[in-house]
Amino acid sequence: MKPVDNRYRRSQELFARAAKVIPGGIYGHASPAVAVAGAFPYYAERARGCRYWDVDGNEYIDYLCGYGPMILGHQHPEVEEAAARQQRDALCLNHPGPVMVELAEHLVSLIDFSAWAVFGKNGSDMTTWALQVAREHTKRRKILKVTDAYHGIDPWCTPGHGGLLEEDRVHIHEFDWNDLESFDRFLKKFRGDIAGVIMTPFHHPAFKASQMPAAGFWAHIEAACRREGIVLILDDIRAGFRLDLRGSHRVFGFEPDLICFCKAIANGHSLSAALGRSELRVAASKVFLTGSYWNSPPPMAAAMACLKIMQREDTVAAVRRAGEQLMAGLIESGRKHGYAMVASGPPAIPFLTFADDPSLRRQQRFCAEVTRRGALFHPHHNWFLSAAHTPQDIAATLGMADEAFAVLRDEGL
Amino acid sequence: MLSHLYLSAVLPCLADLAEQDPAARALVAKSDASISLAVLGGPGATVYLRHGRILWQNGSAAKASLLLLFCGERHLNAFFSGKKWAVPLPVWGGWRIGLLGRFAKLAAILEAVLNGDEATLRSAAGRRLHTRLSLIAAGLGLGALARGDPESQQALRSVPPGLAAFTIDGEARATVWFEHGSADCAAGWSDPPRRPDVTIAFANIDVAYRAMRDELDTMAAIGSGDLCIDGLIPLADGLNVVMERMRIYLQP
Repeated sequence: MKPVDNRYRRSQELFARAAKVIPGGIYGHASPAVAVAGAFPYYAERARGCRYWDVDGNEYIDYLCGYGPMILGHQHPEVEEAAARQQRDALCLNHPGPVMVELAEHLVSLIDFSAWAVFGKNGSDMTTWALQVAREHTKRRKILKVTDAYHGIDPWCTPGHGGLLEEDRVHIHEFDWNDLESFDRFLKKFRGDIAGVIMTPFHHPAFKASQMPAAGFWAHIEAACRREGIVLILDDIRAGFRLDLRGSHRVFGFEPDLICFCKAIANGHSLSAALGRSELRVAASKVFLTGSYWNSPPPMAAAMACLKIMQREDTVAAVRRAGEQLMAGLIESGRKHGYAMVASGPPAIPFLTFADDPSLRRQQRFCAEVTRRGALFHPHHNWFLSAAHTPQDIAATLGMADEAFAVLRDEGL
Repeated sequence: MLSHLYLSAVLPCLADLAEQDPAARALVAKSDASISLAVLGGPGATVYLRHGRILWQNGSAAKASLLLLFCGERHLNAFFSGKKWAVPLPVWGGWRIGLLGRFAKLAAILEAVLNGDEATLRSAAGRRLHTRLSLIAAGLGLGALARGDPESQQALRSVPPGLAAFTIDGEARATVWFEHGSADCAAGWSDPPRRPDVTIAFANIDVAYRAMRDELDTMAAIGSGDLCIDGLIPLADGLNVVMERMRIYLQP
């Protein structure tokens, strides 16, 4: 889509420069190709609380929260102070700092089934490593995952198409979310050769409504893994600490063997973590894990602060309330304008879609219209709430959404 | 698979070739005949030469002016890839030497244009023709691949159903479409039968040219508006993967 006005002029100018020196201009999930090109800002400059400003000076209430990490809001003073204090002492050392041990101890005390923790920088670091731990522990090859589930950018799971070999996924098999028959088929077919099952706590595929687990779904998966000696890996990277501080498995009543965190763990500072049962400890110690910045203390200090604030302020409840207010208001606003809307996912990580919109054009137009009014709604990716979203922010957003629905109705979309 | 691509994706390009290229049009200006190509026990297609226009039809016509038989799919593939030895058997109308000669010349022009040989790409008109015909072949090839290529079928399983149209802005009659999920994997070089679920529009012939030759940073092109994806993005993304298969099959 060509820009229809000058609203995103500087974004476009920067993109034109970027396209000359950066493949794709902007790559990955932030690529304009993933939203609707020209209808959303491309570059941002600053942020505070639940708001951010793009490079053209447009202000937005942020419903992506940096694609998840901003659980307390941008630039939370306590978190930033903890990170800055740590950074004044050391940014990148030859050795880990004491804060790494403190953080591991804190997380192990928080996540009920866990006995140990390791750290990385991104979600992919942890999910890929977790697969290796499962294989090392079981001495098996196969991994089961859910179709369309996102677990990162490594060859075994990337949603991209380039640079892949058939061999990359020879031992990766996909079953459908909430489809226990398809899961059981693989269980039977590869009995004795399945090392791990990796899943997100609820299903949040791009371009589609999210899906919660059906009754008995998780219980069946958990029981099968226990019975067959399969390592159950919970990819809690997107949902972790937003649904339950003790891990999202607590919400759905099961226990994984390994759990991967990232995003909300440090309110935007670069950190990921994996925690596991004591039985997996030896295998974990054998799978090499490192990176240039993985021992950096400031993000760990930020995580310590973030986790303590979330506990102190019951962030989970606050975020849930904000999400409930938002989604109830959007459903009602859509109904008023004659649109049947579908609210999916948990309120803290919600997504809104149109009931009858196979081409996604309504969705894209609606989200673009809300965004240009000052609240960022991604048309194809689930949204995130933070503790910084106040009832007033939600009310302002609903006003924008009401106008956007009216635009759609006037256009006959 | 390749023979199906030649018959249902490459051969139909003759229609646009005659429409756009004066030399090709002149070759059939005085013709009013039909040529059927048939693989023994396999697929076939017919082209109708109508006073400067060329029409394509699926399946071999029993009453064609000239019926060219290929002993097998490899024979037909060799013919289309320009192998001199791969002469078809004129089982009917073989005495129409002139028609046979004109068809051979048309096939040679088509091959040169689609392969993008040096002489073709030297001029803007040649590049334009190469681009248009490549787009037609790629779009129509989606139907053939969806029907018969196991790897494409596997890739399409995770692609949402819908009608996709590929078009070049500023070019007349430059839309190819494919309906994923339809029973016959329908595809066409014409106005789509309904509003497409996704439209992939190249801003101009130069952008399309680079895209057809895999020389375009498509993500950057989307961001800058040179390539506009309107609608069901996962369908466009998935079809792009299948189109890559076409490139592999048809590489010279």
